[in-house]
Amino acid sequence: MKSEILTDLGQRLISESLTDEALMAATAEGPHVRILPDANVVKIGGQSMIDRGRSAVFPIIDEIVQNLGRHKMIIGTGAGTRARHAYSVGIDLELPTGVLSVLGTFVSMQNARMLHFLLAKHGIPFIEPIQFPQLPHYLAERDAVVFFGMPPYTFWQQNPKVGRIPPHRTDTGSYLISEVFGARSMIYVKDEDGLYTADPKKDKHATHIPEITAEELIAMDLDDVVVERPVLELMRSAVHSRSIRIINGLVPGNLTRALEGERVGTLITAGGAS
Amino acid sequence: MSTSDQRHHLNSMLMRESLLDKELMSSTERGLRVRRMLPEAHVIKIGGSSIIDRGREATFPVVDALGVLLDGDDTLLLSTGGGARTRHVFSIGIDLGLPTGVLAQLSIADALGNAHILGSLLAPWGVVAIPPEMFGHLLPLFARAVPGVIFNGDPPYSLWEHPPSVGRIPPHRTDAGTFLVAECFGCKTLTFVKDVDGIHEQDPRHHPDAPLISEIGARELQARALPQLPFDRVLLELLTHARLIDRFQVINGLHPERIAAAVRGEHVGTMVYKD
Repeated sequence: MKSEILTDLGQRLISESLTDEALMAATAEGPHVRILPDANVVKIGGQSMIDRGRSAVFPIIDEIVQNLGRHKMIIGTGAGTRARHAYSVGIDLELPTGVLSVLGTFVSMQNARMLHFLLAKHGIPFIEPIQFPQLPHYLAERDAVVFFGMPPYTFWQQNPKVGRIPPHRTDTGSYLISEVFGARSMIYVKDEDGLYTADPKKDKHATHIPEITAEELIAMDLDDVVVERPVLELMRSAVHSRSIRIINGLVPGNLTRALEGERVGTLITAGGAS
Repeated sequence: MSTSDQRHHLNSMLMRESLLDKELMSSTERGLRVRRMLPEAHVIKIGGSSIIDRGREATFPVVDALGVLLDGDDTLLLSTGGGARTRHVFSIGIDLGLPTGVLAQLSIADALGNAHILGSLLAPWGVVAIPPEMFGHLLPLFARAVPGVIFNGDPPYSLWEHPPSVGRIPPHRTDAGTFLVAECFGCKTLTFVKDVDGIHEQDPRHHPDAPLISEIGARELQARALPQLPFDRVLLELLTHARLIDRFQVINGLHPERIAAAVRGEHVGTMVYKD
């Protein structure tokens, strides 16, 4: 039956298999709207920033406040030490990855609530996934919102290839928000100046990498990377969020420089054409 | 405890380590079992396009077959797909330039609608569609209280759906969400009820003589790169990394007696196993 209402693609989507590669390729055509092109997604690390307490958190809160009125920020939070503890207890008790994901979400939510209370006097809300339809309004009114970085996969979190820890955590959840909204930038605020050839906390000979493609980084097959590995994989398929920047939030001014688009920390790009 | 690196750590085997470290990841694998939360439950997905969209002709016999099972001792976790309405909302959303995450969020409503349709038909057995927000957390309670529950098969990925490597259709749809429930809760069987006998060498709707593949490993099936499959491709990836689910079966719901047979563990469609 040929419908006059459906587009040609619509007709094919209804009558053909969604496992057909040619049909899938056809769905890439047409416009790709950036929903919030002026917004920056800023992820504040859990272990790297929030777990340090006021010495790290107060300055970064001040810097966020200084940028209100100049930049729009969707602020995600990491989980950190308490998530590690919960994962450790959960693994010992033979619990599956989906349950660990629920536990990690709770910790990331605690961190979001703490940042929210420190920003509350500026009218900045904390939103849960169900409140995301209000996000554009808050951003227009107050220039910032706080959300928990964990993607809301809970029991539906996929197993990692190795081990038991949820593979899609707060780096990934924040990144996916930058992609779905077509945000202007994705900035990770951590406690290192970006990417190194090895973990600088453990290896004194580690050298800094100012810019690299996701593909090059995957090919380096480092034992330890500064951002969750699935982010690098997802970047290669992304339509909008084609680069991420990792900065040291312990250095005052770095967040502002990153928001201004200056070269600071490490820029990881998707490389090639989307 | 407070340490020299100025961070407040809690004592645990993962403390102070980067969760991005490969060595640490492997350490969470060794010698550890995963507990099954619902080892006696059977997970059955009733296809959207393949069964419910066909209306009474296909759906009533399936409901009757499920009713017989629900009168027995088995606990059924039933899911549905979004079917034609999901395809339609995808086509409108793509035409409007909306991204994968938005398409994923929109499609949840279609599978939820079909879950409510199935729930209305199974109401005499006390089986209803559970709202997704409470399904995961309350599932063990429901599984003890009633013979079966229905959930929309979609995983709650919504805006957080992954951009696919090709095109912009959400890769984790209702087959994937159903699989992940079975895996997380360690269920006994996992069955996908479709309108074909299983996996064929070619699409049986266009090639009626295409031979049926009786059983096949997930990796082997991936390597075969068949032009189409009767389920979401991502299932093969999920099965390969599963800890608790080691197989699922794809059966033809137009022969509804095969549903009970599949739940009993009989081989009545295509068995896909972890290889």
